[in-house]
Amino acid sequence: MLTPFAYVRPASLQDAVAALTEGNAHIHAGGTDLLGCLRDEVFGADRLVSLAALGDLAGLRETRDGGLDIGAMTTITDIAAHPLVQRRYPGLAQAAGEVASPQLRNQGTLGGNLCQKPRCWYYRGDFPCLRKGGHKCFAVNGENEYHCIFGGANCFIVHPSDIAPALVSLDAEIETAGPSGGRRLPVSQLHMPPEQDPTRETLLKPGEVIVKVHVPPAPAGLYSSYRKVRTRRSWDFAVAGCALALVMDGDRVRDCRVVLAAAAPIPWRSPETEQVLRGQTLDDAVIRKAAKAAVANARPMTKNAYKIPLFEGMLLEELRKAAQV
Amino acid sequence: MADNETDIEGQPRIAPDAGAADDARPWGEQTRVVGNRRPRVDAWERVSGAAVFPSDLVLPGMLHAAVLGSPHANARVTAIDTSRAERMPGVYAVISRNTPEANPDWDYFSAHSGKLFYDHCRFEGDAVAAVAAQSPYQAHDALRAIQVEYEILPFVSDELEALKPGAPEVHSGGNRAGTQTYARGNIEQGFSEADLVLEQRYRTASEMHTPLEPHGCVARWDGDSLTVWESTQGVYAVQSKIADVLKLPLSRVRVIGHYVGGAFGSKLRTDKYAIIAALLARRVNRPVKLFMTREQTLLTQGNRPPATMTVKAGVKKDGTLTAIQFSGIGASGAYKAGGTSLLDWLAKDLYRCANVSTELTDVYINAQPARPFRAPGYVQCSWAMEQMMDALADGLGMDPVELRLRNIPAGTQARDDKPYTTDGLRLCIEQGARAFGWQEARAAAAQHSKGHLQRGVGMAAANWYAGDGGPPSTVIVRLYADGTANLNMGASDIGTGTKTVMAMVVAEEFGVDPDAVQIEHADTGTTQYATPSGGSKTVPTEAPAVRRACLAVKSQLLDMAAQQLGRPREEIVFDGDHLRTTDGLESLAIRELDRLRKQKVVVGVGQRQSNPQGVSITPFAAQFCEVEVNTLTGEVRLLRMLGSNESGRVINRLTWDGQLIGGITMGVGYATTERRVLDGPTGKLCNKNWHDYKLPTTLDVPAEVISEPIMLTDEQANIVGAKGLGEPVTIPTAGAIANAVAHALGMRLYDTPINPVTLIERVAAREA
Ligand SMILES: Cc1cc2nc3c(=O)[nH]c(=O)nc-3n(C[C@H](O)[C@H](O)[C@H](O)COP(=O)(O)OP(=O)(O)OC[C@H]3O[C@@H](n4cnc5c(N)ncnc54)[C@H](O)[C@@H]3O)c2cc1C
Repeated sequence: MLTPFAYVRPASLQDAVAALTEGNAHIHAGGTDLLGCLRDEVFGADRLVSLAALGDLAGLRETRDGGLDIGAMTTITDIAAHPLVQRRYPGLAQAAGEVASPQLRNQGTLGGNLCQKPRCWYYRGDFPCLRKGGHKCFAVNGENEYHCIFGGANCFIVHPSDIAPALVSLDAEIETAGPSGGRRLPVSQLHMPPEQDPTRETLLKPGEVIVKVHVPPAPAGLYSSYRKVRTRRSWDFAVAGCALALVMDGDRVRDCRVVLAAAAPIPWRSPETEQVLRGQTLDDAVIRKAAKAAVANARPMTKNAYKIPLFEGMLLEELRKAAQV
Repeated sequence: MADNETDIEGQPRIAPDAGAADDARPWGEQTRVVGNRRPRVDAWERVSGAAVFPSDLVLPGMLHAAVLGSPHANARVTAIDTSRAERMPGVYAVISRNTPEANPDWDYFSAHSGKLFYDHCRFEGDAVAAVAAQSPYQAHDALRAIQVEYEILPFVSDELEALKPGAPEVHSGGNRAGTQTYARGNIEQGFSEADLVLEQRYRTASEMHTPLEPHGCVARWDGDSLTVWESTQGVYAVQSKIADVLKLPLSRVRVIGHYVGGAFGSKLRTDKYAIIAALLARRVNRPVKLFMTREQTLLTQGNRPPATMTVKAGVKKDGTLTAIQFSGIGASGAYKAGGTSLLDWLAKDLYRCANVSTELTDVYINAQPARPFRAPGYVQCSWAMEQMMDALADGLGMDPVELRLRNIPAGTQARDDKPYTTDGLRLCIEQGARAFGWQEARAAAAQHSKGHLQRGVGMAAANWYAGDGGPPSTVIVRLYADGTANLNMGASDIGTGTKTVMAMVVAEEFGVDPDAVQIEHADTGTTQYATPSGGSKTVPTEAPAVRRACLAVKSQLLDMAAQQLGRPREEIVFDGDHLRTTDGLESLAIRELDRLRKQKVVVGVGQRQSNPQGVSITPFAAQFCEVEVNTLTGEVRLLRMLGSNESGRVINRLTWDGQLIGGITMGVGYATTERRVLDGPTGKLCNKNWHDYKLPTTLDVPAEVISEPIMLTDEQANIVGAKGLGEPVTIPTAGAIANAVAHALGMRLYDTPINPVTLIERVAAREA
């Protein structure tokens, strides 16, 4: 049950930033993640600062350089359905389209998706885990089938977002506003590795608000895709996912980014896979090697070793698809 | 559904109802209303939101209650301090073991009785204290302010661990909650006659009850009379439990349950919440509403227990089964609650086999007590037995349909070989296979497989022991002067369309539209006793009583017509809403009967008669399924399913098909997504919400689900010719899916659920 909190809806970004700097304040965007966390008593809030009145924060705009700006308050549905996104960055459109369920996509926003809390059942349940200021990660000796195979260190969550890996694969940046001004930051540097701080999910500072995401222009030959495997076909988080952004030169991979979802506490770039692919022709031998490389350094826990063949198989399937284009 | 057979077969026999025509004839082929596709009589109420479910109810002055549950798998409450909670704004009452006057005896239907708020909480979520407050938020704030000290005790949450020596004891005396054996023929001889013997272990995970409307009620006292509005399958079952625990006469407890937002066996009985609501309401002298949170429904409101089953079966080259040996371990939970209830029934009853032995072990674990769950035992057993049948067919090189057809029994072998009243099992398998295109699909599966996308086709069959229904049930039908009617019955409509089906029965008899039938039901204050709606017995129990009540009315109408027309009774027959003479010369509408116009109403009472002796009235089912398995990711896509059911007469084709689609949907969840996860180190429930406990979504159900009813009437069964359907529709689903997946992969998975998490390692290991 929700505990009491104050609710404010500032009319300007400045006021919003100001309202966030006092007490235990949280940004309320679509509320689909935040209200669940409050209701489940994962954390508390004295004040919710709604961004709903900040019209400028919603919508997609093509930028002068041929890239795309997506406001933080843009709904996930709007991203998935946008013709420009579908045409230039199909991987992003696919990732957005695979999020949750239609209702949640209509209500959930881009900013909220990037900043959502992990879905670990120990973190969300009544376990005093490390991420909540406790002393240990309960997944280590517990039910860790949905936990990470990379980057675990002290806390073994997987990052729940489908959109973040797609944005990392496209080399997107966020733009923020905050008490000490704004900044730009690659999405690949937004999320906090647990070994640095297991109690935070992002590197945003107190009071810092994501204003928009900038996706750079699609280079010629860009092939992007997002693939998600889950145990049911809607309203479900990934058990494995991958975002591919391959810059093709004929059938040769000129450059690439391969980002795994549900693999690690943060969207997980796979330099091993990228290295195999870069400069190579996408033939089956390369594809097999690349898929294998993705999991070569995985460190499964007691109950999630299945993720190794799963990621490998999924990458095989996705890279073969890419090779057929 | 009832826990054991005697609940159904041991009913008292009821004398023929006064006034009912004892010459009640079956309807025959020609029916006007019965057999149609009829939308729900309460469709508008349900769709518009006008229907008041118990959880919607708001009464003047009503308070909201909440229950504090133990957060530990096994703990002793050593101290409770509620003083801070009591002083919080809006809080009216706090009860716990510190309020002995509000802590009656309570037992979880087992020998281990205790108190409502018991010192020893043997499962997570068991009640420790409860609060009534002005708002639900205040009630929950107050729960947070209650200080409880627990002594945390060792626990065991896995039924196999629980049986090992040295395992923590849930109750002193060991964790065996019960054992049961059954044997017929000579099992050793059976195996020695076999050309092929296979043995395999199977496991089904616990499936949790989580109906859309959580469990709960609103309680209100008027003086020393209590009224409870509860989301329940049976108002009379709630009434007797409350009366029993609170030591009230039945006449002081009225239970009303007009709408129920899903139940599936979990609301056959009430639970602590009804007692708590009543106690709080009495303390504060106001109505109190208490509904479980979603987490509490998942923690405390029942489950289909996990099962570990070993099947050893022998078969001759020609497909004749010679021996079936079945052993099953199930977990009741912290109190005895049918952990192995009906678990071996399909093994001993579905296919013809002379030599059978079964052995069941029910186990205590530190988790909530199990509850009946849509075809208890059968769904688990089907997973094992139907996979074993396919494995035997594979071993013999025989088609799985053919193997089953060679082992169709003529009667119920587990119940004294009583002959079945129909050849339903054969009909379901044959007609279903034909309609599905079994042979073609099976043969074409390999051809339709492309690379890592492998096609498979599978099937499974079932019967269900309790689809006959039976007494007691008493129904009253009133016919008004204008020819419309009021139907008064005790049974609940748990969302299956009971009201609609019964209105159709009345409409058939009086020649009116079902909308002309007013229904009064599920209220112990105004209706007659009925058993809970469960066990797939509601239609075969209530519909005959409803029809008999109508016939009792019609018998009186015949007298009236005879008098009015000056003809002997024998010369008058019903024709829709008219009565006419057999010579066709005279006819008069029911509403033109002088006597009826004067006396304004004719009342008929109908009672459910006993079932015929010496036969077994059993519904049958078969399901067929086509899947595509991605061998790179372990994803299973269900392409299409077909369900053929023989449940006697189809009264309403829409509600029939609705049951099938719902049953298949539930089976899809059982086969592919649902699984209770208890944390190893703490025993606590990990997946206590709807994103972690994964019910199937519409996208998980195949786009093509075909219903193929066997169109017959089972006229020996009862005077409407219908048998139960609600459980047979879900029994074979998971086994059919498992068989289709095995056909696709050429490799079997023995544990539920089947999805990428459980499948991919096995497939990858084989490919490597
Ligand atoms: C049942 C369920 C299933 C889901 N399945 C998926 C899935 O499959 N894939 C997936 O990717 N996601 C999934 N989600 C998550 C969903 O996408 C997010 O809840 C949603 O995107 C959050 O957006 P929101 O606007 O509602 O955020 P809110 O709930 O309002 O906020 C979420 C968090 O982000 C912070 N925040 C919001 N906006 C900003 C901003 N502009 N700057 C800084 N911080 C901000 C908030 O303070 C809060 O901590 C699921 C959620 C649910 C409830």
